[in-house]
Amino acid sequence: MSCIIAKSLFKSYNSVNAVDGIDLVVKSGQVFGFLGPNGAGKSTTIKLLTTLIQPTSGELTILGINAKENPLEIRHKIGVVLQQPSYEPSLSVEKSLEKYGLMWDVPRKIRKERVEELLSDFDLHDIRKKKTDDLSIGQRRRLQVAREFMHDMELLFLDEPTIGLDPSARRKLLDFLKRKVKDGLTIFFTTHVLTEAEYICDEIAIINKGKIIAVDTPDDLKNRFGRKKTIKIHLSEVNENLKNLLSEVKDCKIDFNSGSNITIHSDESEIVLLKVLQILNSNNLVIEDLSAVPTNLEEIFLKVVNESNESNN
Amino acid sequence: MNPIIRLVNRNLTIALNPGFLIWQVIFPLIYIFVAGFAYTSLIDVVPFENKELSYPAFLATGMIGFNIMNSTLISGIIIWNDRRNGMFEQILSGPFTRVHYILSNVVTIGIVGLVSAVLIAFIAYPVFSESSEFSLLTIPVIIFASVTGSLLFGSIASIIATRLKSSEGFNVILNTVFLFFAFVSTAFYPASGAPEPLATAFYLNPLTYLVDVIRAGIFGSFTNFVIMEMLILIVLASSLFVIATKLLTKLDF
Repeated sequence: MSCIIAKSLFKSYNSVNAVDGIDLVVKSGQVFGFLGPNGAGKSTTIKLLTTLIQPTSGELTILGINAKENPLEIRHKIGVVLQQPSYEPSLSVEKSLEKYGLMWDVPRKIRKERVEELLSDFDLHDIRKKKTDDLSIGQRRRLQVAREFMHDMELLFLDEPTIGLDPSARRKLLDFLKRKVKDGLTIFFTTHVLTEAEYICDEIAIINKGKIIAVDTPDDLKNRFGRKKTIKIHLSEVNENLKNLLSEVKDCKIDFNSGSNITIHSDESEIVLLKVLQILNSNNLVIEDLSAVPTNLEEIFLKVVNESNESNN
Repeated sequence: MNPIIRLVNRNLTIALNPGFLIWQVIFPLIYIFVAGFAYTSLIDVVPFENKELSYPAFLATGMIGFNIMNSTLISGIIIWNDRRNGMFEQILSGPFTRVHYILSNVVTIGIVGLVSAVLIAFIAYPVFSESSEFSLLTIPVIIFASVTGSLLFGSIASIIATRLKSSEGFNVILNTVFLFFAFVSTAFYPASGAPEPLATAFYLNPLTYLVDVIRAGIFGSFTNFVIMEMLILIVLASSLFVIATKLLTKLDF
């Protein structure tokens, strides 16, 4: 079942399309990653999907409800952690959670239980009495995300939820989110940290200049766009003639970082590597270290966005 | 629970800090019991409609209106803080509409205004009890003054909060506007006897109408002029509320 269906969705400001006719289908029970460079239209799309703003044109259905006709009904069923910090400076951590639960009409008994659970899940126990105004950026962000779990929801929008979190807190949060998805929650997730998108997302869309330029699973994105591999070789000693020796190797780009380090980029990495090894061997050049850099989402992201920018220009 | 009540609960929790409450009580008390009695050597009696009031009695009843106005500052502060701290957007991404948000602010300032009025009236009662003439109209008039005053000044504070982004600008403008309302009014001194331009300025100020209505309720002196003042308060409060609501509705994310 699909919990988000967007068809030809536009949002214009002063005749500039911040969201430029996107089509999107997000299946239930998964983490859907929404990636894009700064100013690509991610946050505007989230504001549209959370019904904070209305589209200029297009159709939008969230959880089977028409977003134009019944935005409030949608907002009863979703959770939203926006990119900008939001907090009540005068309230303590536990009071913030408690009041947020009350705002969502969560019964008092359940509120009390959830406050304790979330204080523990988000490592907020030791600072439960601290005022939110006195928290660090990371602590405040954890509270902001934790707060959203005070109420029940079917779909959660997380706009860069790990900003300001240390690696340990980040991993804990991602694992917590994974558990929630296993329990049936759907998450719409944006981030600039592509390793975490790779870690948590079941499906990823890349947006650039208001248009969606790729949608797939992380593995399929790598297969589609990530044939080019990178191989790094470190020789035991500097060889001034290295550039000439390897000049006959075709179908690749070789960076000679120093006399003893070379980096090979190629779509045919296995064949190229064999040729390079033969040449090095025949010239008695000893390899001290050799590594193949796996294709990661960051490279795919950069490639897809750059190609999109070039085609626009 | 109704969404407006839930938001009112939240508003009261975040806005009513001890500092604000102390300010709301201590400040009027100093005026009533220190300035009020200290100035009796300069001001013997103050004419009000067909009566002559002692200055402390005149000032104490003025302070009820002043306190209603002061309490509505929280409306502006709530809106401004919500915008600054991201809660405006967060609340509206939850199970609330802008109408819920606006009405919750109205109810919040209504409650704070009414409680402030009752509190000061209770504390200052010994000062004005001698001249007071309570009737069936007294309580309804005090409630009317609290509600219209809260709506009127709360709307002004809300309009300022929606227009300004910097904290310095917000504090300077809000305090300047409310300082003008406070001291260019009949809350602290009567219009009669003041230089003509100042006396005219007093009657360009809605706080003057508010305290006149409160005094009429407490001292039992309803005249046609007071009824006209009540009508002006209703028109002004309604108009400003419509403007504040429109500005809040248009407030972009």
